[in-house]
Parts: sequence; C-alpha cells; structure tokens
Amino acid sequence: MKLTPPKRLLQFLRWFCREDYLDEIEGDLTELFIKQAEISPRKAKWIFGWRVIKYFRPEFIKSIKNSHQINTYDMLNNYFKIAWRVLLRKKTYSAINIIGLAFGLTCSLLFLLWSYDEIRVDSFHLHSDRLYSVYERVYNDNEMKAAYFTQGLLAQELKTSIPEIEYACSFRMLDPVTFQVEDKIIKMEGACAGEDFFKMFSYKVLHGNMEKALSDPSNIAISQKMATTFFESPEKAIGQVIRFENRKNFRVSAVFENIPDNSSLKFEFLSSWEWHLQEVRWLNRWIYRAPLTFILLRSDSKPIALESKIKNFVKPYLQESHSAFYIELGLQRFDKKYLYSTFNNGVPDGGRVEYVRLFSFAAIFILLIACINFMNLATARTLKRAKEIGVRKTIGAARSSLTTQFMMEAMFLVFLSAVISIVLVILLLPTFNEITNKHISLPFTNLWFWLIAFLVILSTGLVAGSYPALFLSSLNPIKALKGSVKFEQRVIYFRKALVTFQFILAIVIISAAIIVSRQVQYIYTKGLGYDKDNLIYIPLQGNMADKFQTFRQQAMNIDGITNVTRSVQRPTHTWRHVYDLDWPGKNSDSRGVAVHNGIDYNFIESLDLKIIHGRNFSLDNPSDSTGYIVNEAALKMIGSKDPIGLPLSFFSNRGEIIGVVKDFHLTSFYSPIEPLVLFLFEDGTNEGYILVKVNPTKTNFVLSALEKIYKEMEPGFLFTYEFAEDHHFQLYKDEQVASTFSNYFAAIAIVISALGLFGLSMFTAEQRAKEIGVRKVLGASFSNIFFVLSKDFTILISIAVTIAIPCSYFIAQNWLSKYAYKIALDWLLLFLPVVILVVVTFITIAYQLIKAALVNPVNSLKSE
Amino acid sequence: MTQQSLGEFEELVLLMVAAQHDKAYGVAILEGLEEKLKKKMNISAVHVALKRIEDKGFVKSHFGGITEDRGGRRKKFYVITALGKRMLDTQYQLRSSIYKQIPKISFG
Repeated sequence: MKLTPPKRLLQFLRWFCREDYLDEIEGDLTELFIKQAEISPRKAKWIFGWRVIKYFRPEFIKSIKNSHQINTYDMLNNYFKIAWRVLLRKKTYSAINIIGLAFGLTCSLLFLLWSYDEIRVDSFHLHSDRLYSVYERVYNDNEMKAAYFTQGLLAQELKTSIPEIEYACSFRMLDPVTFQVEDKIIKMEGACAGEDFFKMFSYKVLHGNMEKALSDPSNIAISQKMATTFFESPEKAIGQVIRFENRKNFRVSAVFENIPDNSSLKFEFLSSWEWHLQEVRWLNRWIYRAPLTFILLRSDSKPIALESKIKNFVKPYLQESHSAFYIELGLQRFDKKYLYSTFNNGVPDGGRVEYVRLFSFAAIFILLIACINFMNLATARTLKRAKEIGVRKTIGAARSSLTTQFMMEAMFLVFLSAVISIVLVILLLPTFNEITNKHISLPFTNLWFWLIAFLVILSTGLVAGSYPALFLSSLNPIKALKGSVKFEQRVIYFRKALVTFQFILAIVIISAAIIVSRQVQYIYTKGLGYDKDNLIYIPLQGNMADKFQTFRQQAMNIDGITNVTRSVQRPTHTWRHVYDLDWPGKNSDSRGVAVHNGIDYNFIESLDLKIIHGRNFSLDNPSDSTGYIVNEAALKMIGSKDPIGLPLSFFSNRGEIIGVVKDFHLTSFYSPIEPLVLFLFEDGTNEGYILVKVNPTKTNFVLSALEKIYKEMEPGFLFTYEFAEDHHFQLYKDEQVASTFSNYFAAIAIVISALGLFGLSMFTAEQRAKEIGVRKVLGASFSNIFFVLSKDFTILISIAVTIAIPCSYFIAQNWLSKYAYKIALDWLLLFLPVVILVVVTFITIAYQLIKAALVNPVNSLKSE
Repeated sequence: MTQQSLGEFEELVLLMVAAQHDKAYGVAILEGLEEKLKKKMNISAVHVALKRIEDKGFVKSHFGGITEDRGGRRKKFYVITALGKRMLDTQYQLRSSIYKQIPKISFG
C-alpha cells in the first residue's frame, strides 16, 4: 500500500501556492514524502507538514491581483449580457415579472410611508414623556363610557391641587369663526386653550410673549398664515386688533409657526380659556363635559402613581354623583393619543394603530408574496435555461459562480422593478395623499430613505433570487443537458400551498371590499326617518338669531324656497345630551339621559317628520314655550302609555309633553336612536343654524339670493352654507376612506393572486408537456386535456373557498358589529368574491393551458 | 565582473543542474547536493534557488510526464542555458586564476 501525504496539508498548500509552481512543488514534496514514509510514516507526515509551512512565503504565495480580477470583471459583464438577453427574449414574461414585483414594491412603499407618517404624528413635542392627556370614565346605571371630554374647570383645579402637575390646560375646538380686520372678513378654524398651552406643547411662538400669550381674556394667538393674511406679516400683527364674530375685539398677543402636518391638534388661532369660560357659562358646571384636558407632569413624578391618585378627583366637585353615577379620571401619554384613541373597558386601546399595524403587515406581506411569485415565475422559466446551465457547468462553472449569476440576474430585475416602483410612487402620491388626507412625499434628501431602499432592494433580490440561484446551480449537468429536469414534489406542494393561500387572501379581501362598499351604499341610501334632501344649513352668526323672523320673511319670498326654519343643532348630527331629565314616576336610581335640540315652529314639517301622538308646536299656543316633543325612544324610556300632558323637566325647566314624533336618526349609524327631547328655540340663543328647504332645480339661484339677504342683514360675516346631505356623509369619512382602500386592496389581491396563478399554470404546462403529448397521441381531445390540466386548480380553489368563506364571514360580522344599523350578511355577498376570483383564475390560466393543450405532441415528445 | 551575480547556494544548484543534464528536477537536485555536501538540506531552499536562477536566465525549465509516485503531479526539469554555462565557466576561470596566484604556503 502506498501512503499519500496528509490531505489537509495538501489542501492548504494548494490553497496558498501559486498555481504555476504547484505541479513542481507538490510533486517534489509528495515524492520526498513517499521516500520518507517507507522508513517512518509518522515522521514523514511531520516532515511534510514542516516543509509545506516553509513554502508559505511571498515567492510561492498566490498574488492577490494575480490574473483573477480580469476574469471576474469579464464574467460579470457576461452575466449582465445574458441577463439582458434573457430579459429581451421573453418580453411578456419579463414584463409580467418585473411589473408584478414593481407593483408589490409600490404598494409596500406607499403603506410604509403612510405608517411612518402616522407614527410620527405628535412626535415633535419636546416634553412628550411628561405630556399627558386626561380622559374620563363615566359610570351610569352600570354602564361605563370612556371619552376624552372633560370639565371646563378640571385643568385649573388639577393644577392647583395636585403638586405633581407642573402645567395644565383645557383645549376646545371652536366652530369656524368669522374674523374681521378693516374690510377683510375671513372664516378660520381655531380653538380656546388655557394659558399654559405654549409652555406644554412645542408649537413655536415666532413673535410675542409665549408666557402671557393666552393669559388675558382679550388676547389671541394666531398662526403665521393667519397673521400674513390679515396683517401682511407676522411682525406687524403683534398688538393689532382683530374682530371676532363681529362682537368682540381681540388683541394679537403672539404669532406661532404654522401647525405642522404631523400635529393632531390643528388650529389657526387660540383664544384664552378664561374668556371662553365667561362666554360659555355651562362650561363652569361640573356636570357638563366638552373640552380636552392636557397636563404636563413634573419631571420627577410617576405617571402611574399620579393616575391612581387623581382617579376619583372629580367626585367632590360633582354634586350629582351618587353610587350609580360617577366619573373617574385616567391618563394617557399625549403622543399616544392619536394612535390609541378607542376605548376598551375604559382604557385607551387600539384605534388608528390598528390601521398602522394592518398596513405595515400588509406592506411586508404583499412584498413577500410578490417576491415569492417572482421567485416562482423565475424558477418555472428556468426549465428553459437548464441547457445553458448544463453547458456552463460542463465548461467548468463552479456552483458558486452559477449562484452569483442568478442572484445577479434577480438583483438586476429587482433594481429595474425598484426604479419603476419609485416612478409609480411619485405618480401615485398626489392621489394617495388625497384619499388619505395627508401630505406625504418621498424623503429623497433623507439618507435613511436611501439606506432602507438599498436594503429592501438587496434583501428582495436575495429572497427573490435565492431559490432559482440555489436550485439551478444544483442541477446535474448531464440531466440538464438531456433536458430531463424535474422539480421535487415538496417544491410543487409549496407552490400549491402558496397559491391556495393567495386565493384565501384574495377571497377575504374581495369580500371585505364588497361588504364595506355595500354598507357605505346602505348608509347613503337608507332613509333617516326624515327628508335630508335639498336641505341647506346656514349658521346663525352675529345677531342673526334675533333677526331670524325678518330673514325668514324675506327668504320665503324667494322663488324656489319651500320652507325656512331653524334649530340649535343640525338634524344630521344631534349630539348634545341632557343628564337630568325628570318625570313623575321616574325610577330614582336611573339617570334621565337624552339628546335634546331646540327647534322652530315649522321644523317638523320642513323635515317631514311624522307626529304619531299629540301635536306640533303652534304659534296659537303661547304655552308651547314650555312644551316638549319627544321621540318614540324617549317614550319607551319614560314608559307612559298616555304621554300627552305628562310633566317633564330638564335643565331645571318644567314643561309638559305635547307631542310624540316617530323615531328618526339623530347621528351616524354607529349609535342606536337615543331618546330625544325637542323644545322651542329660545329667544336669546345666539347659536344654531337656519334650515332652508329648496326646490332642487333652483338651488343656485336660491343660494345667491340668500347670500344677498344675509349680507345685507349681517355685513360683518361671511355667508356660508352646507347641504344636509354633505354633512351627513361627512360623518362617514372613515368609511369612505375604508371603502376606497378596500377597493384598492381588492385590486392588489386580484393582481397578486393572478400573478401567482400565472406562474403556477406556466409551470404546470411546462412540467406536464410530455404527459399531454402522450395523452394526445393516445387520442385525448382538447377538452379532455383542458379538463385534466384545470383539475388541479379546481381543487386549489375549492380548498381556498372552504377556508376563506368562514374567515370572511367572521371578519364581516366583526366589522359590522360597530354599526347599530347595518346590512344583513347573506350568502350571495360571501359568494360573489368566489365568482369574481374564479373568473379571474379562468382568464389567467386559460391562455397557458390552451397553449399547452393545442401544442403538437411531436414537439413535446421528440426532445428525448 | 558580470552584470548578473550568483549566490553561493545558487551556484551549487546551478552546478548540479548542469551536472545532472536533462535529468535535473527538484528532488534529484536536492539528493545530489545532499550526497555531495554530506548534509541535510531543505527542498524549499532548492526551489527558491531554482526560481532565482531561472529568473536570471541561467536555466530554463520544461514539464515532464505525469508519474504515479508524485501524486499525479508532473516533474519540472531544469536545463542549463548557454548564459548559465558561460557564467559557470567565468566563475571557474576566475577562481582557478586566483587560486593559481597563491604562493606555495606550507602549514607545517
């Protein structure tokens, strides 16, 4: 037996030694080793090792720049050339693959941009870690409702009695306010805020004293934009007088920078809270809750301890509170408020963050599916390239160089897709911003953006290219050249599972889209119980309330106006509650909670409401000023069989029921119809709306005529109006966005599953080419073959449908449960997506399968 | 002096290449030197010297056939060139001419 030198050492030698010397050196060493080994094998090994090490010196070591670089460069060049040629050879295929991936990238980029934008909301406040929002849990008759509304005096009381609180302020948005400077009259949206506001939040004050900006009741802080509009420049605005609603003069005390897009509080001006308390008397009572309360903790105080300390803070102030009715306070970090604003069990939990999570998940998911589809299409296509790989391997390509080649091809395609998707994102962003009501732009100047983009391209390329690269490079060259490449069974299962999964997803998403749009349609078309069509709201501003009768007389003379009336709140959104409704025989434990609205004599006929008992308010009856009209829900709460003449009191005003009106919707379909008390519009109320019922053919004429009358009577204000219908739909903004989004989602789902199918059908057709050939030779007809080929897909669809239908039923149920009034889920609604998907499937696979079924069997059989 | 220098060990290797004309390769050279000098030598040193004198143009090399006992590696044979021979001649003449100048010295 002949001994051979130790393998490891030989490998080491071969690894470092110059190739042109290797023959000589290795040969000589081996010869010496064999001679030595005849004497002593063990010593020979040692000597051999020692000798090998002696060669580890510059003369014999491979040069790093030696010959290799040129080769690598040429190979890369060649890879690019081949990649480009493959791309051009099958244009449709390449286009589908690149566009499919670009589509996935675009969707995920948009969703990620959106999520990023959402997360950044309110993140700019410097004291974020100490800035808290106070919310309240109201316990009433074993029922608990949590909300951000707090008492008007809460902030001040908290600040004075709790040492842990450094600053506190109330904040309340106002209805659009008319401002006047000389002859400039403009409506602006703004808020009232406590004097600590600017010390707590990081809204930059450009001019004026930040500390005292809101300390005086006659002070007002305005935005840069508002200052420029009224006074040309922010500098000139300070100290100037601005007229508020034509009844009060404010002095501009500060100008703040325009509110950034990522602020959840949006206001053009801030007036002082002290003034607002003087103005709106009921805010001084602890039973009423309207403003938001924010607090800034001292840096050493513990929020959790503080929360339990102030839990029962309100109780002593609230005379009305007893065992069945009390209020608890809770704290939430302000920067979390935007994302977590839905209350669950009296704690903020969920809200927009669910959308953020959903969309980030969807973004990653879509990208992943797009990658896998890309991978599948690429792999299916590679059967065509088996020969190329065979040739490359025969010539001497190492596995690693083939892996590199296919990775590079994948990267190349991903890069093209990325470029396309960035162009697409730029094109789509304006529309996207419009739908989502955001101002998102691609952060081109942000280094992180490029870094992340680079990483996404790299990882997508790696994921998308990995399977073709690893699978193709492992092909046996002999098999590859003979053209008998087969995928493993588990690969095929994986593809099928993936396609099934995409089907399930598509069905669920399509049914979601259908259900959301059906519910939105239902909201739009369902009768509200009154006639909201052709009804115009005009806000009562200035002294309009006093001059209303004159206005009404003049307006009624306009041709095209059928009725003019007024009410305190818009009937499409009646939301003000009364908590102290009382009547004889009332259960002493229960609170009389009802919605109330002040209306004028002809309100009921203008809205076409039905009186089912008693009568309407009448001018002939002077006592009607203490009369009430209630709805059926209120009647049910009172529980009286003969309600007419029943004494009723609220706000400590005594009166009696004169009529009962049929239930109609008071606000959105989220809430059931609550008990309602209608009373006559009181003199001296200076808020509310004029309601004008018009003839639809003369709307434009009527509006200009109304504007003329209005301007003559109240020159200090702008004439603004709103259609009841639009206001009604405003309540469903989220639903409209959800509907639009879910439609897009459905389109994405369809495209993605179509891509997956396309890959799978192409793959099936290629794999089964010989089988089809044999079947045809044996006499199978076109329809036989088509049936055989589509059988697989039918099974996949059936599995998907079985899983998807219960899923979508469950999700739909869950989503609809938040509505008090909703569409019924019928089976048709759930099966419609299946029908849509089957049609899409058929169209997608038909081309491939027909092509496969029509091919001449000679072509598929002769190749072996 | 000639432009090219030749180290002591290089000279020995070159001499051996010339002596083993047509049959000189690494192991043969090593063994020849070990036999003449009566001491163990290192194969890597021989290889280094061979590369150097080849670079200087004193020898040229060619590959022989594959042999089994070399693990499938070819032998690399070295042959002295005309330049190499002239170098050896010059060295020899130089040394012998100086040697001849040595007066008769006797170390009693």
